This record gives sequence, structure tokens and C-alpha cells, in this order.
Amino acid sequence: MYRAHIIVEGIVQGVGFRPSVYRLADETRLTGYVRNIGNAVEIVVEGERSRLDEFIARLKTEKPPISRISNVKVDFERIGKLSFHDFSIKESSSEFSGTSVIPADVATCDLCLGEIMDEDNRRHLYPFTACTDCGPRFTVIESVPYDRERTSMREFPLCESCMEEYLNPLDRRYHAEATCCPECGPELFLYRKKVMETDDPIMRAAELLDMGKIIAFKGIGGTHLVCRADDDDAVMELRSRLGRPGQPFACMSPDLESIRRYAVVSEREEKVLKSRRRPIVVLNKSRDYCLAPSVAPGLHNIGVMLPYSGLHHVLFRYTDAPAYVMTSANRPGDPMLVRNRDIIEGLDGIADYFLLHNRRIVNRCDDSVVRFRGGEMAFIRRSRGYAPEPYDLTGISGDVSALCLGPELDVTFSVLRKGQCYVSQHIGNTSRYDTFLFLKEAVEHLMNITGTDELDVVACDLHPRFLTTGYAEEVAEELSAEILRVQHHHAHSLALMFDNMVDECICIAADGVGYGDDGTSWGGEILHCTGPEYRRLGSLMPQKMPGGDLATRYPARMLLSILGEYHDAEELREIFTRRYIHYFPHGEREIDTVIKQLESGLNVSLSTSTGRVLDAISAALNICGRRTYEGECTMKLESAAFAARGHLKIPFEVKRSKGRYILNTSGILLQVMDLLERGEDVNEIAYAGQRAVAEGLAEMAVLAAVDTGVECIGGTGGVFYNEAISLAVRDYINREGYGFIQHRNSCAGDGSVSLGQAVLASLKYG
Amino acid sequence: MKIGMSHGAGGELMQDLISDIILSNIRNTRVNGGVGLEDLDDGASIPLGEYEIVISTDGHTIDPLFFPGGDIGKIAVAGTVNDISVMGARPIAIASAMVLSEGFRGEELERIVRSMDAVSEETGVSIITGDTKVMEKDKLDRMIITTTGIGVVKRGEIVRDSGLRPGDMIILTGSVGDHGMALMAFREGFGYDTELESDVAPVWEMVEAALSTGGVTAMKDPTRGGIANALNELAEKSGVGMVVEEERIPVKEEVLAVSEMLGIDPYEVANEGKVIIGVDPEYADEVLDAIRKTRYGGEAQIIGEVNSERHVILETRLGGRRILEAPVADPVPRVC
Ligand SMILES: [Fe+3]
Ligand SMILES: [Mg+2]
Ligand SMILES: [Zn+2]
Ligand SMILES: [Zn+2]
Repeated sequence: MYRAHIIVEGIVQGVGFRPSVYRLADETRLTGYVRNIGNAVEIVVEGERSRLDEFIARLKTEKPPISRISNVKVDFERIGKLSFHDFSIKESSSEFSGTSVIPADVATCDLCLGEIMDEDNRRHLYPFTACTDCGPRFTVIESVPYDRERTSMREFPLCESCMEEYLNPLDRRYHAEATCCPECGPELFLYRKKVMETDDPIMRAAELLDMGKIIAFKGIGGTHLVCRADDDDAVMELRSRLGRPGQPFACMSPDLESIRRYAVVSEREEKVLKSRRRPIVVLNKSRDYCLAPSVAPGLHNIGVMLPYSGLHHVLFRYTDAPAYVMTSANRPGDPMLVRNRDIIEGLDGIADYFLLHNRRIVNRCDDSVVRFRGGEMAFIRRSRGYAPEPYDLTGISGDVSALCLGPELDVTFSVLRKGQCYVSQHIGNTSRYDTFLFLKEAVEHLMNITGTDELDVVACDLHPRFLTTGYAEEVAEELSAEILRVQHHHAHSLALMFDNMVDECICIAADGVGYGDDGTSWGGEILHCTGPEYRRLGSLMPQKMPGGDLATRYPARMLLSILGEYHDAEELREIFTRRYIHYFPHGEREIDTVIKQLESGLNVSLSTSTGRVLDAISAALNICGRRTYEGECTMKLESAAFAARGHLKIPFEVKRSKGRYILNTSGILLQVMDLLERGEDVNEIAYAGQRAVAEGLAEMAVLAAVDTGVECIGGTGGVFYNEAISLAVRDYINREGYGFIQHRNSCAGDGSVSLGQAVLASLKYG
Repeated sequence: MKIGMSHGAGGELMQDLISDIILSNIRNTRVNGGVGLEDLDDGASIPLGEYEIVISTDGHTIDPLFFPGGDIGKIAVAGTVNDISVMGARPIAIASAMVLSEGFRGEELERIVRSMDAVSEETGVSIITGDTKVMEKDKLDRMIITTTGIGVVKRGEIVRDSGLRPGDMIILTGSVGDHGMALMAFREGFGYDTELESDVAPVWEMVEAALSTGGVTAMKDPTRGGIANALNELAEKSGVGMVVEEERIPVKEEVLAVSEMLGIDPYEVANEGKVIIGVDPEYADEVLDAIRKTRYGGEAQIIGEVNSERHVILETRLGGRRILEAPVADPVPRVC
């Protein structure tokens, strides 16, 4: 007789793991027990050796759908007689601290949906219906082990019927920590100045939405502002109340059929749309697009998701709307509102009504966003449905534990512990105070639920002035950890290389901005990365940014600075008053000021950013010269180019200077202007300009690959969300005989900078 | 290391320079337990009997020497009078040392000296001693004026920049960014065709009005690094935080326009005639009224409130909150 003592780590709590172990022990006729310990699962089984082996093998293959096993540790012991006479599920214990983590939130499963829609079921139309296969997890948990008393569900004691299900190992709600019913669970209510009298708040909300009203919906991990997506007046009204003139709004449709009325869905996109993670998928608009033009103005694509909670499913029963706008309820740059009082106060004057409930949101978690480029997926935002599932760095990171705080905008942070890298939910723009506070709170929480109380390394950006940098210094001092400052594009590159399991690569890191190791701002870099080292082998031509950040918001200033090298003040004044005066809020006077500013150098910084060059092309073509949201000008440029046939070509020039390759972006802009003056079609020029930048980057990367003998080239940074650029770069590189890697399971943009920082921490200290 | 321009710009770099090279190499820094060198306040004090003598010194270089709203002479006297004033002391006398470059025009010097005299007359501060030197043309750009001010205050009534307490109100005596933005615009060639003017002026009258009302806990004049720097210094030295409402900070339209064209934050550029005053909340309205009755204090505002946290938080016009940081240098923008 043998006894096996087994520790299972991974996503093993709150996913029906223990009942599945119970059933397995039953089937293999073994005795012993299973229990949650800290953030792992402990199993003790006794019996014949062969049956123990069978048990262990089947444990790994017959696990419940949401669970994920990262590590199984087994100790066998020879025993004289059995010490258990049955198999049981024991009380949780918190003494052990492993590397498991609670899973991300999961969309309503088919069984639960069936119950919600079944008139005879006691959960008929109950929006909070959940089971071990679905429902909230990360958003309700306060600490580990994941048990109801450590979630916001503890405020809802189970009724008798629910308790029966909860305690029955053979029931699908056995220890489903978020389970509840209309009898015992959270309640919805509609609010306007006070709680409104209505029997059916969801039905009433649907009616109000049909009338063109704007309603704030408190959901599972956050709050949405909702209105009908086919009602242009309602969408425009929402835009004006929010002060967001153009930022694309995400939509939710009841089913694929409805989505196909306004967007094109490929097979792969369909699969992700319907996955239990339910991210927003950015889809190309279809020709017979039926929604309001104001939903995603000026863009050829639109972000779409399918219902992921009971609330959404029930809502769509009451309407014929093909889609609702569902955009995060927050003020620009601030974290999403999650507390009832904050929602009501913060959205005063924005939402007409509030559909709220009385369950606390413990962890705010924004919707995830993905986009396909040439059939390959990348995250634009990896959050709800994914976070905080870890990336597996075993073998790289050794035993090093690290907290990596990311950059400044689009921040996620990550906690590295025992080979697992837990990348947080989307945090946002940490230069905003409330977002910074959210970051601190989220850090504390993730460290807590991963059982991390000691740190060897705190990683941050190289930028000395980021609040995240200051915070990193503070934490490092407090916990006597090493501080590791990581160059932004190096972090991008390492995330990409990790995603593709590559250890040497020529990386094209193209984005808006990142602090360079020479103190200037980078964003169009060719880096040769090996191990923990990088060398900068190429970049875009450094361009002047008159007015610093102002040139980001008003890209016509970039254009002026680039053209300024080729024209005298008089010519510049003429071109800019004729073509671009509307992009300068202070008119002619401002044009003159910028010209002088470029001469004197007052508040003029240098940047090799790809985003700034694409912006300048966008401004030059009068597509977008005034950024009202992150990435606007570049996104609109891509959309304009999308409409082109592609018959124009702009040649580009790569030179060598100061030991690196330089792409002459001024030359590209000059030709853009030339084609414009010749009366060529704007969309065609957009296509050609964008392609020249893409191929210029690719050419530099190929040259660097030839020089170094490296065979793999990769693309990272926000610019690689752009499908046309991604494909142009990939094709160019493939034509030259090199392999090309892209982000697949991570963000191309700044959302994976914290992952890259963790990779460097691993390489240096692991 | 080599000294760069930003080491003299009033930001963090200058703080580092001062503590690393200057403070660490001077041993005697205090008299009779008064305010001393390492306090890095606006000035220092020497307790004598029932009084304290307050001293402050400042070397003035400015380009251009004459600018809309003033000239180097006006700044040399007003600036030093202001540093004495914000210590809570009545300024009484000025000592002035001038270094001129060979070839400097006599008429210009006369204009400058007359400006000095005008401020001295306005404030009742006498210029009682001085020194004049000339240097070779290529050794000095035009002129430097160093002024040392002397003031008097009753013993123990000095107002420090470290005296803020949670709950105090923050008063700002008028619009911000005028001096810095006017000079920058002037240098950038806007010439005189803007309405921008330096705000250079003596602040004693406003300070006296506040002090005689009572409840003043801390004061600072937001010169180099602007109010961003001054508010942070006040908060840091007092070990407190504050929330400031952007809506209440007066910024002249023209200052805003130039700031929007150059991409330079009006909160980060110098003022030469403003004071930031921390006041016990019970006295705040009264102090505000008293300041508003003075010649330069008509636009004074309560801009914020001190709390026990750590940052200077700006409540923006759109309703968000951001941390108002001290600039690295003046005016060096964040690169990214
Ligand atoms: Fe980036
Ligand atoms: Mg001073
Ligand atoms: Zn379910
Ligand atoms: Zn129940």
C-alpha cells in the first residue's frame, strides 16, 4: 500500500477542481482527502500503487475546463495500513503559499444560460446566475484561499436551496463561490435621483435605451455607459456629455448574426468572440454597416463583444437593437467607476439612469481588447477574462521574485514569483492621480493573492520622472529589493521574444514614445537583443518636437518641424496658412511661434518615434491633425489607407550615421507633400506613406540582421496594432528570407512592458 | 561634474547641487539659533534681543535687461524685498553690489538705478550701501546685480516655508506665469506686440496685510520653477500634502495663449510679484479680504487646502486629479 501526497498548483481554486478530484478518487477507489491550502490544492490518496498512478495521470487530463495545472508535486510513501476509510473534501487551510492563482472571470456558461432562459427554473432571468464553470472570480476575490468568505459574495449568505447545491460534490455548483439565486443573491435596481419603483429594472432599462437614453450599467468588474448603437443622436449625445468627440466606442451585440449586420467576422475572430473570455474584438466594418456612424467615426473597424454576463443576456431579450454602445464609465484617463456612490456622483450629467446592484466590485477589471492582423491575434488590452492568469517563466526566472511596475500610459504591472509572471489587469494612465492610487491598490492586492510578501527586485521604466518609477524606488527601499530600470523598447522586445520563445532577435520596437538611454525620446528602434543585453542598431531619423508633448496632441507641429528643414520661414508660413491653419488653435500667430521656436530651440525635444511620423503624415493629408484620443491620427491614417488600391509607391532611404541605421523620415514626408501638391488621391498617399515607413523599418532590421547574423526579426510596440504596417513589415522581411515574429499571447503595446520588465529581471537575477 | 544651465534653474537639479557641493562644505551656517543656511528658506535670521534680523541675498542676471513690465533694477530690489517679506519680516534696507561689463552704456545703467530707486521709494526700503566693479567685455555678459536685503521681525514671529498644517488654506495673491511667460515670449521674438508683462512688484504690502490679520502659517514667493515648485517645496518642508483647484488659479488669457503655443506650463515658470500663503482656515476669508484690498492683491484667491497626505494634487478643470510635480528645471519640459 502507498500513500501519495500531492500538491497541485495552477488555476485550481474556484474552478471545480476539488469535486473533480473527488469524483476521480471515487472512480479509482482511493481514499484520502482533498483541500485548498493557501493558493494551491493538496490531495492525499491511499491505495495500490497502480491505482495511484492512474489517479495521477487522470488528474492531469480530466481536469475541469477552466482549470490550468502549472505544477504537480507528488511524494509517495509506503504504508502498512490505510488511515482513511473514504475520500472527503476537507476545509481549506491557509498555511501553504504556492504559486497558484485564482482564475479570471468567465462568461456565463451554456448551462447557466439555459437556466436563466428557462421559465420554470428558479434562476429564470436572474442576472447573477453562476456556477463553477462560469461567473466572476478575480473581480470578487479579496484574499486566498478562494472561498466564499473571502469574496464579496460573503455578504449574501446562501439560501437553503443554494446551500444544498453548494455542499453536494456531485452538483455543478459544488463550492461555486459566486453561486446565488434570486432568493439569496445580489439585487439589481434602477436609479435616478432615487431608487425607481419597477418590477423589472432590466426590462425598464431596455425600454429607456430604446427611447434614446444613456444608462450607466454596473456590471461584474466595472461599469459601462450604455446606449443604442444604431441611434446616432444618442451616441452623439453621449460623446458630447463625455467630452469625447471621436474615441471609438465598443459595442455589444446579442449574437453573431447581429454583428454581421455591421462587421465582417472571420472564423478565428468568431472563435475568440465566442470564447469564455469574451474580449472585445476589433472587426472590420462591413459594407452594409447598419450602426450609427458616430460609434467609431473615421475608422474602418469597430470593437465588438458578445454578452458575457447574465445581465447582458437578459437585457437583449427586451430589445431589437443590433448592438449597444458599451464603453467604460470613467472620465478620460481615470479608472473605471465601481462603487455605487462614485458611479452616481461621477456620472452625474452623463448618464440619465443608473442600473446598479448591491454586490461590491473588489477588483476593477476593464474589458479586454484583441485585434487580428493577417489572421494573427494580439492583445490591445489584456484584462477581463485573462488577468491575472500568469505567464510561465519557469526555467528563466529561477526563484527570483519581482514586482514590475510598467511604464506610464496603458500601464499593467506584474508580479513574478516562483517562475510565474502574473500580469495585472489594465490599470491605465498613471500620471492621473486616481489611476496611480488604483495602481497601488491593485499591486497590494495582487501581491496578496499571489502570496508575495518578499521581493528581490523591483523593476520600473528608465524614465526618471514617471510616478511608477518613484513608486518603484519607494517599494524597493521598503522591502530592501534591488531596483532594475528597464529601457522601454527593450522591455517591449523582451515581452515579444518571451511570447515567441526566442532568445536572440532583431526587434523593431515602434510606438509613440519611450525614454531612451540617451535621454531623448525613442519610438522607432531597431534593437539587437540577446540575453539581458540590447544594442541599438537603427532608428528613425530624430525629429524635433516643437512644444514637447504639444506636438503629440497637434501633429501638424511635427509636420511643420519636419518640413522646416526644407523650406524657409516664408514658404512654411504660406503652406501652413493655406493647408493647415485649422490645426493650430491660435492660428497664424501659432504657426509663427512654432517657426521661431524651432529656430531658438525653446522647449524643442528630439524624438525617433514612429507614431509621431505617422501622425505627421496623417496631418499632412488632412486626415487628422488634432489628437483627441491616444493613437487617433495613426488609426485614421490606417483607415484611410485601407480604402486605397495601393498603386502609389514612396521610395525610402536608409543611411548610416553615428554607428546606426537611420531611416530618413523627412524624405518620406517631403514626398507625401509632393504627391499631395500633384493632386494624387489622399487614400493612396496614406497607403504609400504608411508603407514606406513600414518597409523602411523592415529594411533597417534586415540590414541589422545581416550585420549580426541573427535570423529572427520581430515587431513590437503599439504601431504593430496597425494591420497594414504589420503585414508590410512581415512580407518585406519574409521576402528577404528572414523569419518574423509578432505578439500573440501578449500586448503589442505598453500593456506588456511590465511583462518585458519581468523577463529582464529573470534574465538578470534568475 | 560640470555645472549646466539647469543647475541654476530652481528645480531638483539645483537642490542637488546645493546640498552636494555647497552645504556639505560649509561648517558654520547659523547664528544664535536663528534660521540658517541649511534651512534653505527664502532668507536667514539672526535673533537679537526682542527682534530677529532677517537677511536674504540674491544675484540677479536676466536676459534681456529691459523687458515688458520691468528691468533688472526693478527685479534686483523687488526680488530681495520679497524674499525678506515672505519670511514675515518688514524689509528695511538693501545693500547692492553691481558688476558691469566694460562698455556698458551709462544711460542704461541710469535707467536701471532709477528703477531700483522707484521700488525702494514704493516700499520704504532704503538702499544703504553698495559696491561697483567692472569686468572685461568678454568675461561678463553686460551686468550682474547682487542685492542683500535686511528686515526686522519680532522674535519668534518669523514665517517659515515649513509651517503648513493639515486643514490650512492656501492663498495665492494673483495670476501666475506672467513674468516667466513674458520673458520667454519676448526672447522668442514676440517683441512688444503682446500684452504680456512681467508681474515684478514688491509683495510686502500684501504680506503685511495678511500678517496683521493673523493666522498665517507659511509663506513662499513662487519665483523660479513657478507655483509647481513653490507648492511642492512648501508641502515637502512641512511634511504635508495639499489639493489645489485648477479653476481657482488665475492665469491671464495671454499667458495661457503663449503657454499653449510654446507647450510650457504656466505653473512651472517664474513669478516676481506673487506670494503663496498658508493660513489657518479660521482666518482664511479675512486674510483674503485684507490682501484683496492691497495694490497688487486684487485677484487673490484661496486655491486649495492642506491635507496630511504627501502629494500636491491638482483638481483639473475637467474634474480629474493629477499630481503637480516640481519641475526638473525651468522651463525644461518632460521629454516623454
Ligand atoms: Fe511603448
Ligand atoms: Mg526666493
Ligand atoms: Zn455556469
Ligand atoms: Zn439562493
